[in-house]
Amino acid sequence: MPVDQPRPAHNPLEESDHIDDAALNVVLRTVPLGAAVLAGSAVALVVLGYLAIYLLIFLPRGVVG
Amino acid sequence: MTDQPHETHERWILGTELIWAFGVGVLVAATISVIVFTALTLNINPPSNVERVDPKTLHLSGEFSEQNLGTLVAADGTVTARIIATQFTFVPHCIALPRGRPVTLRLASPDVIHGILITGTNVNTMVVPGYVAQVHTEFTQSGELLMPCHEYCGLGHSEMWAVVQVLSAAEFKPDGDGRVSCAQR
Amino acid sequence: MRSVDRLCLAHLWLAFGAFAGAAVLGVWQMWVRSPLGAHTGTPGDYYMSVTAHGVTMAYVLSTFFIMGFGYFVAVTALNRPLPGQGWAWTAFVAGIIGVVMALVSIALGKASVLYTFYPPLTATAWFYIGLILVVAASWVWCVLMFVSMTAWKRENPGVPVPLAMFATVANALLWLWTTAGLTVELLYQVVPAAMGFVQTVDVGLSRTLFSWTLHAIVYFWLIPAYIAFYTMLPRAAGGRLYSDTMGRLTFIFFLIYSLPVGLHHLLMDPEHGNGTKFIQVLLTAFVAAPTVLTIFTIPASLEIAGRLRGGRGVFGWIAALPWDRPMVLASGLSFVMLAFGGLGGLINMAYGMNAMVHNTSWVTAHFHLIYGGTAVIMYFAIAYEIWPRLTGRQHESFSPLRWQLWLWFVGMMVMTLPWHWLGLQGQWRRVANFNYDSPIIAGWGPLVIVSLGGGLLLLASALLFVRNLAVLHRSVLPAPSGSLYALAVVPPRHVPAALNGFGLWNVLVLTSMLLAYGYPIAQFVIAPSPTAIVHRIE
Repeated sequence: MPVDQPRPAHNPLEESDHIDDAALNVVLRTVPLGAAVLAGSAVALVVLGYLAIYLLIFLPRGVVG
Repeated sequence: MTDQPHETHERWILGTELIWAFGVGVLVAATISVIVFTALTLNINPPSNVERVDPKTLHLSGEFSEQNLGTLVAADGTVTARIIATQFTFVPHCIALPRGRPVTLRLASPDVIHGILITGTNVNTMVVPGYVAQVHTEFTQSGELLMPCHEYCGLGHSEMWAVVQVLSAAEFKPDGDGRVSCAQR
Repeated sequence: MRSVDRLCLAHLWLAFGAFAGAAVLGVWQMWVRSPLGAHTGTPGDYYMSVTAHGVTMAYVLSTFFIMGFGYFVAVTALNRPLPGQGWAWTAFVAGIIGVVMALVSIALGKASVLYTFYPPLTATAWFYIGLILVVAASWVWCVLMFVSMTAWKRENPGVPVPLAMFATVANALLWLWTTAGLTVELLYQVVPAAMGFVQTVDVGLSRTLFSWTLHAIVYFWLIPAYIAFYTMLPRAAGGRLYSDTMGRLTFIFFLIYSLPVGLHHLLMDPEHGNGTKFIQVLLTAFVAAPTVLTIFTIPASLEIAGRLRGGRGVFGWIAALPWDRPMVLASGLSFVMLAFGGLGGLINMAYGMNAMVHNTSWVTAHFHLIYGGTAVIMYFAIAYEIWPRLTGRQHESFSPLRWQLWLWFVGMMVMTLPWHWLGLQGQWRRVANFNYDSPIIAGWGPLVIVSLGGGLLLLASALLFVRNLAVLHRSVLPAPSGSLYALAVVPPRHVPAALNGFGLWNVLVLTSMLLAYGYPIAQFVIAPSPTAIVHRIE
């Protein structure tokens, strides 16, 4: 924020969340491995679910167009 | 805190996002390819025929006049069923169709929007007044199937349904004019 | 209590009060459709109820919640007063009048056209005018959101707009763009028909105009949930947002990708050919992008929180998260429902495969799960989070909040999963009563009853939700202070104009809408469809 403007007593943009920078840096060495595995598995399951329904339910009901 | 760790973090973070986006992009592309492949090879499409017809004069003459409704086997062997969807019935109420042969259903509405599905099959289409709805399919099993109206069309919507009799070759016998009615059971 | 708090609470109470009433209707509808309640009530009663339930859940709960939440974000994220409060209150009054007009029309049996109101079925004009008033009120909100952000940017040149507000304005712009279709349909076709000025209607055109609104509207409903994921959840979990940049891109992608794909709701319609339909399916694949980014970015943000709390290993961070906090719990449950709802959506849009599910209970199941589940559970979470700030009081216990969220999740899964299966069996939509004497339909009975059980859980949850908010007004604990909004791992210092405003994106939207909808609509202007006769339902 420009320094010549009055600063509000409480600026939500810069209010600290009390997270220690050092701890954050340590954690960032592993992140996003867990997220990648979780999200990747979820996406894989959804795609597999889609293909299963396509091949096992939709196609056997006959061609349509 | 100096800016350098920030930039390093930011580059790393955006890099991981890009890798993720790429990986999922490949999966999405593969899924779309399955759709495209089957659409082209098996000719699976949503109803694709855009054909207009005046709902206000459907009944008067031509294709959807009452005597032309129902299943007709043409001279060249093609099977076509013509059906009117109207509040709150289908005409005819029972439609006979053969198993294992390509069939075409053509539907029209003189009043409001209706729609049909045939249970156990992929036959599904909206019936929009102003247009002929057309679906091509091939039934793989004999039996008696339900063909309800599946689009809300007014207070009688729940009671609006037809029966589709999928008949074996032995039972699917056109009369002299090529017309086939439902078998009496 | 400040005036803006009253403004927010007014909108939110209208939304949630109507929601509770509609939940009761929903259970009655499920009862009547089940073998247990067969032959109860007339079709007239049923379609009145479905119309009221749909209009309330789709138009009242959503719109007024989003407006109230938006006013809250505009004040708290930007830390400045809301401009145009007089306009905001006027809009609210207009909105309430609109809601009353619509609901009274329905209750009098003159508007049983469902929340989709497809012509040529035509209700009393008062119904449509009521809906138009609600939309007009929401447009005032859109303008105020935009004005808020613009004024803040002028006062803070070069500073990145706080993500929560950026996303809120993206949503407001999306709403302005998407309501154009429905508004043109109402003003040009439906209201003249309802008033008797025209006797016929071009149904191909009306279907197409409504479809313009039909897809992006669901993202209008969903985006507040995503705002909570990106800007509130990381803080509630004790972590940081993994990427502020990805947050901005997500909301931009929603704006540009969700609008031009409405025609995928017409895949089974005969007024468009498969060239148009195929292009629409391809475009629809793009709208998966923001969700795809989110299901990585938000778990990554949670992973930061979980590992800061001591979680180890590939999955240990999940258990380490503070699941006792309602925002965290709701988000986890929301993501589970998003997985199932997303799978359903993928099938709906898959070109020819849509034939397997169109207008069956699968569709009903899908949108109850993805909207009623994924989005609305986050409405609850947001309400729980901001109510203390609005009332100055804190919840005396989080336990009833967690119970309510779990009840909602379990109820939604139990109601919708069997419904998906029933849809595949061919159970069709909007039926007042099923003939359980028919063997095919009789086979569906047991699952319909299971679904009804889910609905009862949902009703209990809905009532508990209202109770949890009501008691907060009398709580003796003071509200917590401090920011609700998360910091990013890398707080944005300078962002390019494209990620801080919408000029470029609006141009892109205009271009894509012209390309996607230009011909599909123009064809009806060049050569109108044979018209259908207006069918009055009153």
